[in-house]
Amino acid sequence: MSASAQGSSSTTKAVVSDAKNGDAKEIEKKPTQLEEDDEFEDFPVEDWTEEDTQLPSGNTHLWEESWDDDDTSEDFSVQLKEELKKVGLNKQG
Amino acid sequence: MQPTRTPTLDKFLDETNNILAVKNGQQLQSYLIIEPPFNDLYNSMISEIRNQYPKGKEEALESKCQRALPQAQEDEDGSSWSTFVKFIANYFAFIRDVDVKNLLDTYNLLSELQQKCNSALTHPMKGLVILPTVIAYARVFARLAIGLDKRPELIADLVTHNSFEEDGARETLPERAANILRNAFVTCLNDRGTTASGVKDGKPDGKKVGIYTLANLCLKILFQCDKKANAEQIFSNIYNQSPPLSIYPASERVTYLYYLGRFHFATNHFYPAQLALQAAYDECLASPSSLRQRRLILIYLIASNLILGRFPAATLYARPEAAGLQERFYPLCRAIATGNLEAFRRLTDLSHPHAPWFLHFRIFIQIEHRCEVLVWRSLFRRAFLLAGVQGDNVSRRAPTLDLNDVLTLFTYLEKRALTPLSQLDAGPGRRHTNWIFMSSDPPADAYYIDPDFAGLPEEFKPSLRLPSILEMESICSSLIYQGFLNGFVSHKLKRFAIQGAKRKGGALAAGFPTPWDVIKAKSTEECPGWKKDEAVGAGRFGAGMVVNLSGARPVGAGTFES
Repeated sequence: MSASAQGSSSTTKAVVSDAKNGDAKEIEKKPTQLEEDDEFEDFPVEDWTEEDTQLPSGNTHLWEESWDDDDTSEDFSVQLKEELKKVGLNKQG
Repeated sequence: MQPTRTPTLDKFLDETNNILAVKNGQQLQSYLIIEPPFNDLYNSMISEIRNQYPKGKEEALESKCQRALPQAQEDEDGSSWSTFVKFIANYFAFIRDVDVKNLLDTYNLLSELQQKCNSALTHPMKGLVILPTVIAYARVFARLAIGLDKRPELIADLVTHNSFEEDGARETLPERAANILRNAFVTCLNDRGTTASGVKDGKPDGKKVGIYTLANLCLKILFQCDKKANAEQIFSNIYNQSPPLSIYPASERVTYLYYLGRFHFATNHFYPAQLALQAAYDECLASPSSLRQRRLILIYLIASNLILGRFPAATLYARPEAAGLQERFYPLCRAIATGNLEAFRRLTDLSHPHAPWFLHFRIFIQIEHRCEVLVWRSLFRRAFLLAGVQGDNVSRRAPTLDLNDVLTLFTYLEKRALTPLSQLDAGPGRRHTNWIFMSSDPPADAYYIDPDFAGLPEEFKPSLRLPSILEMESICSSLIYQGFLNGFVSHKLKRFAIQGAKRKGGALAAGFPTPWDVIKAKSTEECPGWKKDEAVGAGRFGAGMVVNLSGARPVGAGTFES
């Protein structure tokens, strides 16, 4: 007897999805307000090499660590300056 | 001799016995399939079982299996593998009874089968052959548990009647499922039939090969059902006993590091979270087929880095898995970089259009609480840029900042954050034409009074919760203590004085070190739960472990959720 034709490595979703097919209305009821599911799905392959992790764009400079903004001429700083001046005048007065 | 009434079943048992003899775990798993539709051979076997061994005849079925499987009978050393006989008898009962239209019944049947299968796995010599079957069942079992947890109407009865432990603590269905799978995980972890290190020819030896697959399935259940706190014991066990993560397949490594990173994030250990998530991201498959996994890892990695003072660069936002993330995270980064407390308050308000998205991923509160400190630091810096008193090298006077000026800015921005109309104010010369007729006072609902004091006389009027000079001193001291400001506070003069301006090339560089550098210098590169190669990583009792993974408890016993 050989059962290998059925294989069972891809059992992950079989049972539940079969059962759900019998109850399509339930699926529709599921909340879908967010476009993103937070389930971490199984990978399509089990193993891969370091080469398979390389993106064409490369891994250079993905994070900004020095992001201080010294520009004091933009709107936000101008508003703050105005407020400091106003409060300063009030104090003097 | 009387012809047998169960020819197919007999043949199946005979072949199973042969498989046990040659210890072919993969073949055994391919025989012991559990999900319909079954092929003709299985269907004839099922009808034979239904005829000869209907419900109630389980003992007879077990005796039959016992007789037909010499491989599970007494060994030379006198030990038998009775747990396998019990398991396979239960397997036949399972395929006889299973009806996948009834999810809850299927779950209960599979729960029993999984436990029997786990027991068979514990045999020190022979258990290994059943490991692929344990894992295959565990995948289905985990998915069923998660599926049921999302449909409470199906398990309401179960929750009400059966889910109380002796101490009265409630154990949910997914927690129970995770506990069952964790038994198999622990069996793999504790396998003594391996080399001392559990590594052979650079690969996991014996049952240890199943450690991370089973751990990841447990973690999947616990995270999907929001029982993260219960994951602690798995991480702790692995950290103490597992062979190094690096010898396992990439899919298991990346999945495990994703959950480990999320666990650290959820428990407010953002630096180790970042270490695990960055490694998961770097080692993740770069093909489009893994875009969803890359995106999930990235969301938590960005959230961790944001809290640690590291912002995504344009190159990162440009990646396909980052689609749409810039519009979520960039405004926060700008508010932090400029010290715009008003913008930050609005962005982290529950009424903000992006709030449901951040809440969905459970990163909202952490960002709101932890990044606020970085906004304070930048606002102090901006106050110094606008109103600071530069030092004098000749008289050796240190650069200083009047905390009253900082208070002015905090008050101004907090007040604006409370006032909806202030959003229309784009500054002098760019205001709405009707600006002068608009009230800049915060609306009535921004005023707060403790409910206990409401309605009392004059002195208990509702008030705006605005910062005071004492609070400025407090925040300033706190920022100094955390290393984000470098200097000291003069309580008498209400001034912050910057130290080392001359040595460090200017007041800004000296007084306001880069947050990421400050945090990195204080952190260790050890990530509790991540078993590194012995030569590279720390030993079994890493310093961080005491802090992060103490107090391990069984799944379900926890009283808090993260």
